[in-house]
This record gives sequence, structure tokens and C-alpha cells, in this order.
Amino acid sequence: MDWATFVQLCVNGLTLGSVYALLALGYSMVYGVLKLLNFAHGDVFMIGAFVGYGILTSFGGSLNLSISVWLVIVLMMGGAMIGCGFLGVLIERVAYRPLRAAPRIAPLISALGVSFFLANSAQLLFGAASKSYDTFGLVPPEDGIHWRNLNIWWIQVLVIGSAFLFMAFLTWLVQRTKIGKAMRAVSFDREAAAMMGIDPDRVIVYTFFIGSALAGAAGVLIGLVLFQAFPYMGFNYGLQAFTAAVVGGIGYIPGAMFGGLLIGFVQSFSQYYFTTWFQLVSLSLLVAVMLIRPSGLFGKATLEKV
Amino acid sequence: MADEDLQHAQVPADKPRIGVDEWVAREEELRLDQGLLGPVRLFVARVPWWTLLLGAAVGGVLIGAIVDDEYFLQVGFDTLIYVLLALGLNVVVGWAGLLDLGYVVFLGVGAYGFAWLSSGHFDIHLSAFASVPIIVAGTALVGLVIGLTSWRLLGDYLAIVTLFVLQIFITWGNNGDDINIPFVDDPVNLTNGANGIHPVDSFDLIIWKAETVKDYYFLALGVALILLAALYLLNESRTGRAWRALREDALAANVLSMPVNRLKLLAFVFGAAIGGLSGTVFAASQNSVFPADFNLQKLILIYAMVILGGAGSLPGVVVGAIVINVSDRLLTTPENARLIFYGGIIIALLALVPRRRWGPYWVAGIAAGTVAFGFAVRAVVGVFWPNGVDGTLPGEGSLTNALSHWVLVPTDPFDIGRYAYVLLVALVVSLTFIHGIWRRLLVAPLIYLAACVWENVLVAEPATTRLILLGALLVALMNLRPEGLFGTARVEVV
Amino acid sequence: MLQLRGLSLAFGGLSVLQDLEIVVNKGEIVSVIGPNGAGKTTLFNVITGLYKPDAGEILFDDQNIAGMSPDRINKLGIARTFQTLRLFLNMSVKENVMAVQYGRTRSGPLRSMLRTPGMRREEREINRRAEERLAFFGERLMGYRWDQPAYSLSYANRRRLEIARATATQPKLLLLDEPAAGMNPTETQEITGLIGQLREEGGYTILVIEHDMHVVEGISDRVVALDHGVKIAEGSFEQVATDERVIEAYLGLRTADTK
Repeated sequence: MDWATFVQLCVNGLTLGSVYALLALGYSMVYGVLKLLNFAHGDVFMIGAFVGYGILTSFGGSLNLSISVWLVIVLMMGGAMIGCGFLGVLIERVAYRPLRAAPRIAPLISALGVSFFLANSAQLLFGAASKSYDTFGLVPPEDGIHWRNLNIWWIQVLVIGSAFLFMAFLTWLVQRTKIGKAMRAVSFDREAAAMMGIDPDRVIVYTFFIGSALAGAAGVLIGLVLFQAFPYMGFNYGLQAFTAAVVGGIGYIPGAMFGGLLIGFVQSFSQYYFTTWFQLVSLSLLVAVMLIRPSGLFGKATLEKV
Repeated sequence: MADEDLQHAQVPADKPRIGVDEWVAREEELRLDQGLLGPVRLFVARVPWWTLLLGAAVGGVLIGAIVDDEYFLQVGFDTLIYVLLALGLNVVVGWAGLLDLGYVVFLGVGAYGFAWLSSGHFDIHLSAFASVPIIVAGTALVGLVIGLTSWRLLGDYLAIVTLFVLQIFITWGNNGDDINIPFVDDPVNLTNGANGIHPVDSFDLIIWKAETVKDYYFLALGVALILLAALYLLNESRTGRAWRALREDALAANVLSMPVNRLKLLAFVFGAAIGGLSGTVFAASQNSVFPADFNLQKLILIYAMVILGGAGSLPGVVVGAIVINVSDRLLTTPENARLIFYGGIIIALLALVPRRRWGPYWVAGIAAGTVAFGFAVRAVVGVFWPNGVDGTLPGEGSLTNALSHWVLVPTDPFDIGRYAYVLLVALVVSLTFIHGIWRRLLVAPLIYLAACVWENVLVAEPATTRLILLGALLVALMNLRPEGLFGTARVEVV
Repeated sequence: MLQLRGLSLAFGGLSVLQDLEIVVNKGEIVSVIGPNGAGKTTLFNVITGLYKPDAGEILFDDQNIAGMSPDRINKLGIARTFQTLRLFLNMSVKENVMAVQYGRTRSGPLRSMLRTPGMRREEREINRRAEERLAFFGERLMGYRWDQPAYSLSYANRRRLEIARATATQPKLLLLDEPAAGMNPTETQEITGLIGQLREEGGYTILVIEHDMHVVEGISDRVVALDHGVKIAEGSFEQVATDERVIEAYLGLRTADTK
């Protein structure tokens, strides 16, 4: 492989990985506080992509924009984040909270149900065909950094940049603020946190809001990078992001970020070599990590007190 | 005090003491006899198992003998295949408590296996007698390999791995016509890609060969009955008890002699074998195998069957399979879909009313109120916005006609229908938060809105609608009755 | 029968068991006492295979079982009850006691589905043994109770069922983790008698964790005291109860001084 291709694959990997990292964060955070794999998260991401598309069209679409490109992108992300944040909170309230005391399998099945419900509702409302963001129309690929072998398009810079910005914000939130401390406490031991005066329900709602908002942002970003939004995209991307979260160590935020970037690179390179079989590579990575280090690459093994 | 002692002394110790233990002894009866299906559950619990099986056999045979219409026989056959799949999934999810989201893979492996061994693809034409055992063993092996990943995984992670396996299987099905194996010159064609493999031989048991739809119906019925008996006997044995124990408390089970990981693997392998078996019959009946036959939609269908019927309960799973598949079929035509919708609403209303005696009256009241409300709204809308009532409903028949006078029928349902759908979802969700008098007042308008959305939007898109309903069903079941129709409510230590 | 040599275990930086040396002879009843956090339950967990020790040996009948899988250890002859009960709540009382006989029986799935004579014989034997183990507790867990789900039992009955279940695995060594926890004086006395009965009639060697000193006094041949993972005293009940280090561990330094 020549140098130019290698660099290109790295850039793609980084871009894709940033989106996966954002998505994986949501999975990781929710698992941390609720010990639940939120299957519906991928579909919240999908809704984010559609919301972004909706906002784009309402301002005239990529060819007829009534306001500046960058402003519309900010609005798309903002709208998607807020919308998805609330959607996530709603899902938690309706599908997960009533099942707190139920056997472990119940919220998982409920999540599966929500996932199918969302994906097919989107299909009902928007049709099965994919909606194009027509990003080339928005920001042509020539607009970017072109230096020797390195070709990064501004949109990609945006994606990578905003993803890292969000991750930095989240890290600050979790490490330095009270709410972050509360989130960490609840993920360690919900009952003990409750006894210390932390309202676990509120913390869980915040967690869902933040996680889902990030998913919404990820949805818009992936729409920009891969040009399209379609109702079943939640499944595939969700699965990869899941893997990222698990590989990085589920419940552990820096792990999710690293996992996302790793999966992005893995997908970028394996798509080049294996085209349709790249999922096999991701799965192999997942199984390998699971068998060797079940708590993920960075996760901390928790011991169950008998 | 003395009286009580005397009473205690007189009653034989293995019988419950009246007034003291009797209520505890009747625990099972009290627990089962609740709601609409209470008497049915009691019956199922008390009648010996082989009687139930015999009854099912007689019923199945009668249906096969009387019905001649190919369409209905095909529906029957499909239902039986789903019964097999649901039974297999029940072993994995219901008995061992493992969340396998890739179960359809085993159906696929069985089907493709049959296509390899009994068709023109590789030009091997083994009779089913020979090929089925090989395929079942092969599928079991695949299950073993996948299950080995659960050796160290918590239940949650197994879900992800199995979902991945399903995706990869679908990819393989679609792209398996061009596989490059190192050291082999030509690319290998295993699956013929998206075009699938056909024709596939019929199910040939040497002494008898299945040719017509009716033949396949009876074949599937036979397999299902044998499997039901086998699974029942397995459940009432040390293996079944061990599976139940490991679902209850895997750690305690492990410390008290049960090799938990091996048992999980056993359940997985069993489920895989059953899936493989179903795959062979499935492929033979279709005379073909396509990768599009195996997808997430099918998986969620099977899950809905197991969950609705009651995970862990054999009769429940059978009932769940029948109910879901028949409903699914009914949803394909608008006229029948309406049966599902309005019937479903009535059942839901009846089920949500706690008292059995007044239930039907209350439901009738709601129905009357909704009908009146509907006519009123339609009258008002007709005055201010004629476009809202001038359109036509999909489908035909007297029911459709009647409904088109009750429901709002916009001339262009597309746009407004979408907003109405979102409004409906929002309303249903908020109804879970609202209690008391407001909730009761909103029920009739809610049903009317649902009917409008159903008639104009959902009925026209059966493929998507069925999945929306399935998703909603799963969420509702988990919230309201996680043990399904015939399962038993479990006590959990959190 | 059981010999712990140099047994050590640490969780991260916290040392829970330090260089333990304990011997239990056949037919003995040995009590393990110590304040909370002393490592008593952890000790049971290590012996039964739930944790692998960092160092040391666990010799059961001269065989080192450290690090073996729990079900294998059970088959070799060690059974336990749990401090926080771990019954199979949704299974019936009888089924609880039947399920644990898995390790002592051999009929695989095929034989179960075909109901071979061998399998049926085993089932009858499993049934018989379950009834026998439950009969040990008198009438309380008999008759109509057999088919009741375990969650319908009272607390004391649950404790009894837990013990019945453990004995159904045909152990040589029985580990009882706080068998009298949460019981009233009458029930406690009954348990004390029961433990002795287990030794007399069942021939079990018994290792007991207990806080209630009346029980400890009533049953023990020997007492071992632990504190922070270290063995601080060993001997008869009188010897250990008056040992200075033991008093200090339970009640603090000043009380030890004044005593």
C-alpha cells in the first residue's frame, strides 16, 4: 500500500472513529449507571441524523441555503443534540425505569423493542430510502487541508474537532463537576449513593440526556461525513459502537473514547482489505478482547461480593 | 392455645392446616388464577402433560385433514416452523437465561446445510434421512463455537457477539458466491449470493417423501410434537433442573455441584440443533434458500413469540408462536389487519381492567364513548375542513365502508398522517404518566386517534407496521407482564 | 481432612487472608469467629473455589484443591451454605434439594429424553434422597411444603432448606456460614442441636462461621479466631474466649486491658 493511501485510511479512520467514540460514550455511560446495554441508543443516533437532515432542508437544503453553511451545521448539531437528549430521557422514563426491579433480561428486551419501534417508525415517517445530506454541495472536498500526502477535508476536520471537543467537555464534566462525581458514585453503588444524598433517578436522567445528546451530535456528524441518513443505520453503527465501548472497557469513559477510535481505524483499514467482510474483523477483535480481558482493555475488573 | 395444639395434633402433618397453612398451600392456584386467562392457566398446570400433547396432536391432525386450501395449510406450516424455532429459542433464553440475538443464524445454517447436501448445488442428493442428522450435528457444532464465547461473558456481552454473528452470517449469505480461499485456485461458491440456492430437494425420508404443502404441514407437525415431548422430558430431569437453578442463581448452582459454564453451553447447543432441524424442513418446503430469509425481523418475531407466550413455559411458547404468526399474517391485508387492531384494543381494555365481573360492561362503555366521540369529531371536521373526510380508505368490504364514515379520512393522508402518528405516540407515552380522572377521560379520544392513524397510515404499510407493533408489544409486555401469558412471575433478589 | 497452609489472598492492595494455617480433622466441629471484615466468608469462598488464592495450599484429603472449579470441589466432598441465603427461590422446596444432586448423577440429556431405566432409577433415587434430607428437619419441610416455591418459606425455614440442600450433595465436609443469623433464641437453640445432630447422624465434618457465642460454645470442638485475615487464636472455646487478642479484636484495646 502506498503512503498516500495509508494516510487517507488513517484520516478516514480518525473521522469514523471520532463518531464511534461519541456514540460509544453514550453506551458506556448508560451501562455505568444502569448496568444496561441500551440497544435503542443506535436508533437515537439515527433520529439525530434525521433531525439534522430536517433542519438542513428547512433552511433550503444544501443547494439553496438561506444562511451560512457553518451556521446551519451548528444549528443542525444543536437541534439534534437537544432533540435526542430529550428523546433519550423519554425512552428511559417509559421503557427502562419501570423495570428497575425486574430480572436483568427485561430491560434488555424492552430496549430491543424500543429499537425496533424507533427504526420502523422512522421508516414509516420518512420512507425506507436514505436521505442525502449532500455534503459535497455544502462544503466541497477541495476545501480543506491539502499538503503533500495529507488530504483532509474541512468537514472531516469539523467532525474530528467537534468529537474531541465533546469528549474533552465530558471528561471535564465527569472529573471536575458535582454532577460528574454523582454519576461516578451512582455507577459504583446506586444504593450507597442514594444514602449519601444523591438522587439516582436524577443522575440517571442526566446521564441519558448527555449520552443521547452526544448520539444526536454523532448522527449529524456521520450524516455529514457519509452523506446519508437511513432508518436502519442505527443497527450497524450501533453494533460497532457497542463493540468499541466493550473493547475499551464498558462503564469507563476514557475507555469508550479509545475504543471508538480503535474501531474506527479497524473498520477503515479492514474495509480497504476485506470490503464486505470487515465486520468479521471487528467481531474477532471483540471476541479476542472478551476472552483475554473480559472487562475490556481499560476497564477495571469488578469483583462480586459473595 | 390448647385448642390450636389439639388441632395441630389431629391433622396429619403432610396436609395444610386449615386457617394457618391453607392459604400458602393454595399459593399456586391463587397465583395462576388471575385475569382473563386464569382458568386456562390453571387447566394447563393441572392436566397431565401427555394429555395436553395428545390434545395438540389431535387438533393439529384434524386441521391438516380438514383444511384443503393451500394458503391456509401454508400458514399452518409456517406457524409450525415458528413453533419449532420458538421452542429452540426457549431453551436458550427461557431455560438457561442466555440472551442470544443471533438465533436465526442456526435456522440459516440448517437451511444452507440442507441445500448443500440435498440439492443440485454441489450435486449431492442425500436423502433427508442421511442429511438431517449431519446437518443437525453441524449446526450444533456451530452453536458450540459461538457458545464458547459465552464461557467468559456476562449475559449482556453475549447479546452483542450473537448480533454480530447474525450480521456476518447475512453478509456471508449475500457474498458467499465468491470466496477466495488461500491455496485454492478458483473462488468457492458456497451460497450463490443473493440469488440463493434453488431448486432444493424435497424432504425425502425414503419410505415417504414430502411433496405437497399438506405433506410438509404434517411433517412439521410431527417434528413439533416429537420435539415438544422430548423437551418436556428434558426439562423434568436433572438437566432441566440444573438449567433452572443456573438461571436462578448461577453462583450458588456452581458451588453446589452444577458445572455452570458447561450447562450454558449445552443449552446453547441444544437451541442450535433445534434451529438447524427447523432449517432443513424450511429449506425443503421452500425448495430454495435465500439469504433474505434470515434477518433481524425474523429474529424479533421469534423473540416476541417466546416472550408473549412466557419464556420458560412450553405451552406458552407454542401459544405465543401461533398468536404472533397468525396475527402477522392477518396484518398483510387491510381487511384482516383491522381485525387485529380492533380486536387487540378490546383485548387490551379487557386485560387492563382488574375486576373480572364488571370488565365487559366497562369496556362496552368505553367503546360506546369512543364511537360517539368519533362521530362528533368527524361531524365538526367535516364542516370546517372538507378535505379531511373526503378520501378513501384502503381495502374493501362492509367493515371498511362503515369505518370510512366514522374515522377521519383525509384526501391526502400522507403528510397529516405522519403528524398524527407522532401525536399518537406522544399521547400514548404521556398517558403512562397521567393518572386518575384525566387518564380515563383521554382513553376514548386516544382510541379514536389511534383508529384514524391506523386506517390511514399504518394499514397501508403492513411490513413496517408489523415491526412497529412488535417493538411496542415487547416494551408493553416487559412493563405490564414480563412473564408473558403462561410464564410464572418470578421473584428476584435484587 | 482439611488443611490450609500458608493461604493468602489480596484484593488489589487490601490483604484479606494472610498466611493462614488451619487444620480440621475428620469428625470435628470447628468454629471460625472474628469481627466483621475479618475474612471469614472470604475464607469459605476460597475453599469452595470461588476465589483463587494468591499463595498457599488447600489440602482436602491430601489433595490440593486451591483454584479448582467450584463444582469439582463440591464433587470431591465440600458443600456450603451462604450467609445471605442463596436459595433457588422460584423453584419448589423439593426441587431445590433435587437440583443440587446433579453432580452425583450421570444421566445425560439423551437418556433423560428417552427415559431409560437407568435414568428413571436415578430420578427415584434423587427423589428419595431429597425427601430424606428434608425429613431431617422434622415436619416443617415435609408434605404439601415440598411443592411450594421456595420464596413462600419463612426465614427460619429458608435457612433449614439451605442446609438441607447442602447436605444433599453428599459432602464429607460441610461449611456453614452463619447458620443462626437472624434467628430468635428458640430457633437458635434448635440450630445448635441440629448441628450436633448433623455430625452424629450424618457423619459430617463441620466448619462453622458464627457470631452468636452461645452457638459457638454449644457446638465447637475447637474455635479459630480471625482478624483482618490473620489467625489470632485457636483452641477450645474457653481458651479463645478469654484470649487477650480476641477480646481486643472484638471490643477494642482498652477493654482488653481492663479484662
